[in-house]
Amino acid sequence: MNINKGQVRLLDLEDGQTGIIISINGGKMLTKRLADLGLSTGTKIKILRKTPFSGPVQVEVRGSKLVLGRGLAFKIMVEIQ
Amino acid sequence: MTEERKISIVLAGQGNAGKSTIFNYLTGLHQHTGNWAGKTIEKFEGTLYYKGYTIDVIDLPGIYSLTTYSVEEVISREYIIKQKPDVVINIIDSTNLERSLIFTLQLLELECPVILALNMVDLARKKGVTIDSAKLQNIINAPVIPTIASRGSGLTDIVDKAIELKEGNLEYKVPRYGKEIENRIEDLSQYVKDVDLPYPERWIAIKLLEKDRDIVTSIREKDPRILREAGEAITKLEKIHGHDSSVVISDERTLLASHITREIVDIKPHRKLSLNERLEIITTHKVIGYFLMILILGAMFVGVFSFGNWLSSLFESVFQNWHEWWNNEVGTTFTATLGWAAVESVLALIQIALPYILPFYILLYVLEDWGYIARISFLMDNFMHKMGIHGKGIISFIIGLGCNVPGCLSCRIMESKRERFITAVLVTLVPCSAVSVIIFGLVGKYVGILWAFSLYLFALIVIFLAGKLSSKFMGGEPVELIMHMPDYKTPNLKTILSETWDALKEFVYIAAPIVIISGVFIQVINLAGWMPAISSFLSPVTEKWLGLPAVTGILLIFGILRKELILVMLAAYLGTTNFIEVLSPQQMITLSVVSMFYVPCVATISVLWKDFGWKKAMAVCILEILFAIVIAGIVRRALDLVF
Repeated sequence: MNINKGQVRLLDLEDGQTGIIISINGGKMLTKRLADLGLSTGTKIKILRKTPFSGPVQVEVRGSKLVLGRGLAFKIMVEIQ
Repeated sequence: MTEERKISIVLAGQGNAGKSTIFNYLTGLHQHTGNWAGKTIEKFEGTLYYKGYTIDVIDLPGIYSLTTYSVEEVISREYIIKQKPDVVINIIDSTNLERSLIFTLQLLELECPVILALNMVDLARKKGVTIDSAKLQNIINAPVIPTIASRGSGLTDIVDKAIELKEGNLEYKVPRYGKEIENRIEDLSQYVKDVDLPYPERWIAIKLLEKDRDIVTSIREKDPRILREAGEAITKLEKIHGHDSSVVISDERTLLASHITREIVDIKPHRKLSLNERLEIITTHKVIGYFLMILILGAMFVGVFSFGNWLSSLFESVFQNWHEWWNNEVGTTFTATLGWAAVESVLALIQIALPYILPFYILLYVLEDWGYIARISFLMDNFMHKMGIHGKGIISFIIGLGCNVPGCLSCRIMESKRERFITAVLVTLVPCSAVSVIIFGLVGKYVGILWAFSLYLFALIVIFLAGKLSSKFMGGEPVELIMHMPDYKTPNLKTILSETWDALKEFVYIAAPIVIISGVFIQVINLAGWMPAISSFLSPVTEKWLGLPAVTGILLIFGILRKELILVMLAAYLGTTNFIEVLSPQQMITLSVVSMFYVPCVATISVLWKDFGWKKAMAVCILEILFAIVIAGIVRRALDLVF
């Protein structure tokens, strides 16, 4: 796992912040699954809100709202916009 | 033109794009459900008679893509490829256009005639999004029809178009991707040409580049040399793009979908926050959101049960003389008594279904259609995760509060087998309406309403711990939640009623027959005079360990049929409905605890059996019986310290 400067976990973004997906720290299956859902590298992703007590995050991707489990948000690396 | 004039169409698209609304609109009463061959996934079929045509409609499962990630996806694509329906209607949520188009491109790759239904265009317009459907039609070269399914608008246009597609020979064109990917696809298509498989060549080529599990296996059987060619193409692609070729293909679709969207969509952003956006902020708020959730669900629950008690006692007064009438008119012979057992079961089912289950599901589907249930999944994901399942499982729990049968069946929305099983087991511990009748009829009425609510809290704790345990026992990682969050919208009466009927249908068709048959069966045991033997056999548990009257042994046997029987028969055996005369508060609470957990009812067991096999179903029953006995005994001893 290599974490560059300016590159953070999706989970580390604050509510309302936008990032661009750089990489996904997961298996091929997960990367492919996310790509099929339109969450590929280079995609803009905005955190709408996070829940307390390590709950899921609500994001906006390609004009639609998605809820992602916290474990997923942990694996998606983004560059803050 | 054939004489019969038949057309087959399938509906494909994501879960909440309005697919089932359109299906119900088109087929109305002419529908039937079954299972996909060898799968526990439901298959919805219906027929529409229109302009002299007999149109068969199949509703495919709601899916996000056509890969091999889930059983639903495999079923859907196999059906389209092998059954070759005349028309595929792709229903799209217009408020979610770009991501929906990725799926559309996958459909077009299958080289089947597609009609796009741009559904919920009214909601998109409200958000300031206008879609140029004529332009979209030009780009993808397939008919595009804007629809508002909840109002039925545009739906006959779809059918007209489908007829036109069937009769004419409208050409369709496959989506074209980036140049070097197209080159690879073209090269590979050449090799695939002579392979004897029911799939389009171009599609096989794409799937090979995508490393599709099923297609690679099929090709290996037919001509393994092609895999070598595919391997070379993949290496080239991966060299250029720097990541896995399966992702390269997905990215190509995403890119194309995003290009198309930019061409056809015009967005005028609102300055002001709309009412729905405000609602969104409040209902998913870190603190207020949870508070509101408890308030809404609590109000719904209390409302349904107050209404239910009122209606149920109304039924009670109607039915009360029927037994006497039966004994006088039909007689008390062996067969007549068995006949009454069947009639009584039907009456009791009515008394549970109409006052409690029906209103409960109507309210639940109001919340669902409004969009609130998705918010509950969001809020509860973390809590559910601790039990080894994700947020969507909460939906099954809530459905289970009405009746465990549709509750367990609804677990099929969970992605993996592991999740499905854990959720189903936990649902059997959720107090259903029948159990609630006991809790409110005994504890709520005679011990205090706070005690009754404590029992629900207790059930919640038990479910939580059972979830933690079973997820540990089952091993494996929980699947992460990926869920589309639909916008809030005005609930549609037709949708609510049809969803309610779907849930109630499961109660009527699955639960009711089993309850009636086993009702008669247990009456046979009763008439044979074996009941006293059973109650004395069980007395070490009921009397000694739980401190309950010996007769409860019989009640608990009957309770396997329908839990509320425990209360009904308690009155019959003890000769009074004023339970405080015959039972102490400790006994009432203990009996309620046993009733909650001791075993799922027969109907629920049959669902577990069907979905997970008899071994697992039996294991669940035995474990729950043992658990209920132990926990109720402990509760009993703790209560003796309090009272």
